[in-house]
Amino acid sequence: MEPTEFKNEPPLDFAIPKTRKVFADGILAIQTALSKGAFQVKPIFLGKEQAGEDSYRHLCPSHSSLTVAEIQLAGEKLTKLIIKDQQATLQDGWSKLPPNSRSKIIKQAADILRQERLRLAAIIVYEAGKSWREADADVVEAIDFCEYYAAWIDQYGHPRKLFNLPGEQNTQIYFGRGNAVVISPWNFPLAIACGMTVAALIAGNRVVFKPAAQGSLIGYEFSKILLEAGVPPSAITFLPGRGDTVGDMLVRSPNTNIILFTGSKEVGLSMIEKASQTLDHQFHVKKVIAEMGGKNAIIVDEDADQDEAIKAILQSAFSYAGQKCSACSRLIIVGDIYASFCERLSQAADSLICGPAEDPGNFFGPVIDQKAQARIAKIIEKNEKIFSVAHKGKPPSGGSFVPSLIFTDVTEESELWNEEIFGPVLAVRQAPDFESAVKIANRSQYALTGGVFSRSISNIELAKQTFEVGNLYINRGCTGAIVGRQPFGGFKLSGVGSKAGGGDYLLQLIETKVICENTTRRGFSPELV
Amino acid sequence: MPNLTANKSDNNFEGKTQQVAREIFKEIGKEQPSTFSLSSINGKMMAWSITKPDLKVNLFRLVDVLASLRSAKSIARHVHEYLGTQAKEFSSILAWSLGENPGIIRSFFTAQATKFGVRQMAKQFIAGIDAKDALPALKKIRRHNSAFTIDLLGEYAVSEIESENYLKRYLETLDQLAAVKDWPMLTGYLKNHRTESSAIAISVKLTALYSQCSSLNYKRSIEKLSERLYTIAIKAASLKATICVDAEDAGNNHLIYEVFKRVFSESVLRSFHLPAIALQAYAKNSEVILNDLLSFAEKRGAPIGIRLVKGAYWDHENTIARQNGWESPLFANKESTDANFERLTDILFANHNLVVASIASHNVRSLSHAIALAEHYSLDKNKFEIQLLYGMADPIGRVFSARDYLVRYYVPLGEILPGMGYLVRRLLENSSNESFLRRSFFEGQDIESLIQPPKFIN
Repeated sequence: MEPTEFKNEPPLDFAIPKTRKVFADGILAIQTALSKGAFQVKPIFLGKEQAGEDSYRHLCPSHSSLTVAEIQLAGEKLTKLIIKDQQATLQDGWSKLPPNSRSKIIKQAADILRQERLRLAAIIVYEAGKSWREADADVVEAIDFCEYYAAWIDQYGHPRKLFNLPGEQNTQIYFGRGNAVVISPWNFPLAIACGMTVAALIAGNRVVFKPAAQGSLIGYEFSKILLEAGVPPSAITFLPGRGDTVGDMLVRSPNTNIILFTGSKEVGLSMIEKASQTLDHQFHVKKVIAEMGGKNAIIVDEDADQDEAIKAILQSAFSYAGQKCSACSRLIIVGDIYASFCERLSQAADSLICGPAEDPGNFFGPVIDQKAQARIAKIIEKNEKIFSVAHKGKPPSGGSFVPSLIFTDVTEESELWNEEIFGPVLAVRQAPDFESAVKIANRSQYALTGGVFSRSISNIELAKQTFEVGNLYINRGCTGAIVGRQPFGGFKLSGVGSKAGGGDYLLQLIETKVICENTTRRGFSPELV
Repeated sequence: MPNLTANKSDNNFEGKTQQVAREIFKEIGKEQPSTFSLSSINGKMMAWSITKPDLKVNLFRLVDVLASLRSAKSIARHVHEYLGTQAKEFSSILAWSLGENPGIIRSFFTAQATKFGVRQMAKQFIAGIDAKDALPALKKIRRHNSAFTIDLLGEYAVSEIESENYLKRYLETLDQLAAVKDWPMLTGYLKNHRTESSAIAISVKLTALYSQCSSLNYKRSIEKLSERLYTIAIKAASLKATICVDAEDAGNNHLIYEVFKRVFSESVLRSFHLPAIALQAYAKNSEVILNDLLSFAEKRGAPIGIRLVKGAYWDHENTIARQNGWESPLFANKESTDANFERLTDILFANHNLVVASIASHNVRSLSHAIALAEHYSLDKNKFEIQLLYGMADPIGRVFSARDYLVRYYVPLGEILPGMGYLVRRLLENSSNESFLRRSFFEGQDIESLIQPPKFIN
């Protein structure tokens, strides 16, 4: 069920000098604001900012000396209050609004995102450490989610007539499931948070939105935009807080109907387990939609266009320092080209420039925080002793930078080949032929994205049939899915639920009622008159 | 201030253009460019892809992949996958050797026949592996009283090692071309041609010189590219060679023009004779760029060269624009491009004190318009030149040479493998519905309809 009235928001064209200028101005504005002090973030409940019970300081990933946001975190007390408030859902006006009234408000939010896109992107550059292009793409995707789901509800959200026979009227109606909890990641701090939140809202649910701590500032800005656009204060709660307390309570709440989660496999699986318990006074089964990462492989066939492959692999593996769920972390090279391809790829990686995200000349920036930096550094250190290093980048100091790495001849059983690292680390191995390459790629707990570079019609066909991934990319990189064009999501341990930005997504957030009315009275059928 | 264009509202001028075009067609006579001559493999392939458009994509994809294939078995498999039994029409060898699961011997023959065919095709457009290898072909051009500019084909430069190799290749090419100095100079009327005081010319694809070139990496891109173009220019100056910087895609062109202006305003290079750059008539902003270049030439105080082309990245630019939801930077249709080409020719000729124009097209109407315009301005024949791609339109070149115009051939050099991209582009161009060469020489379209004035269409 694809909406026909939808158009993607164009990204910025940085080849235009004026575009670079206005973006740089946006960066400068945030820089100036930060020089006066960090941004303050507080929970928002019923339209009002709330005092926190705990706090968290988020440092700029590119500059450890710079605090981007001081966040007041919700604790048990506020969360309890919110869980109690969840009971009021049936009386809430939001769910009773006709679908196109809700979509109108979400389109209004899209308009505000558009107006604010430079400021929002600049915040993402500082808070998440994204490059200009990636930060812009984050905002664009958020706008797309609003417009796509709004177009969907406009087209399919209204009562629909089913097969009607004389004397019988069949209608299907949709309504919200109730209370949604959105637990979003920091890597697409606006796009994914926005996608999950507006989908739940537009379907007629109330939302409690808990951002990842490192994405709190942009989450706060986004929540304010929703309120400004006209989402009633009772329908959106912004609740920064720790996962093991606030997140846990929200997932366990008997009043929660849907949980929309994007994050790590460990957290996702434990959420699914907790949500499966039906508590006293809980008269529904919770629905969990979880996107939980991947160990995505690109296969390079012997006959591949190597120029194109190298550019796409570097982009897929190292852009945003490899911190995308869709990022390429495994590379499988077919046949005799292995040695020469690895060499050329490594030389190309040697030429990439890593540095602070606000400098547009840098190809990629830091990882999200010092904790991630230390974790990835440990993995690199350990594996340098085991596998041969074909490339090791030279990152600058001053922020949470890690070197990009290409390991070759990585064994299939190794941790490096199997575990998601979420950093700029690429493991490479050789396969004797294309069929074996697909088999190697498939021997993974994950099935999110995958890429193939080949110019053989039969091998491309084989990949289409047998490569086990949610999103398969042929002769292009495996990141950068676009709403509506490449609905995104995986299976196996990569996640459960329909693809985000696709025609089936909203159906998961909706209850369906089918009404059959006998229209005859004393044998008289209005349809036959 | 650049000069304004002339008032050519008199009907005589259009009549004159068409008159020239008719004469040129007459002088070309029955001779076909070998691209379309059925006796060549190219001609056969062209005819085949024009008459069987559904197979055209597969045919070109096969040519594209071929050079990367290492084993005979792999070649045989690809030929079979892309062309199936249709390939048998190509040669009697393929008719026998192709099949579902060919053995070693049949695979070998398929591979040999296919490689031979593609190499023959490539040889028509690619003059040699390097300048040294191409010297005989270049000498032949000179003997026909024509000029050349060298284009180096190659892979993308994905690393700095590769970009530095490109730089080295340009410098080596210039060295290898030094021998040209001893060749007999152009004779007759062309002896004093403004662009031929130096006989060595190379075209530079700028973005290959810096692997991290991008508009976002603006500062470094400008610095690195300027530094490397400067190195080439200094070398060229020492050999009295000229340089023409190629235009590329819209994402990079603003960098390219900036680097060109920066390098050739260096005081050491002020005396560089006619540094040239390409201008793409299909670009909506081409007139703005031209005016900027004219101001630059004025400021520089010495004329520059401008190679006026239609533009070779139409599909690429439109794909990028469509996928990003951007307005296309190019005219939507060929006819507007042709109309703009004539307009830009006019501006170039009106400013011949600042620029020396190279009119690069295979379209007889576009070229005839330039000829008529030059006469209209009483512009001497040695104040501009005609440019053609090597191997594409030799009969047209011969006619202009015979008329004492300087014809310069754009001569690609390189290994067949990296040259495949170029070959495929040329083949696609020639077989496209809108190709002037195809309409003139393959379909035998009525001459009168080919020489009508192009109009801007919205």
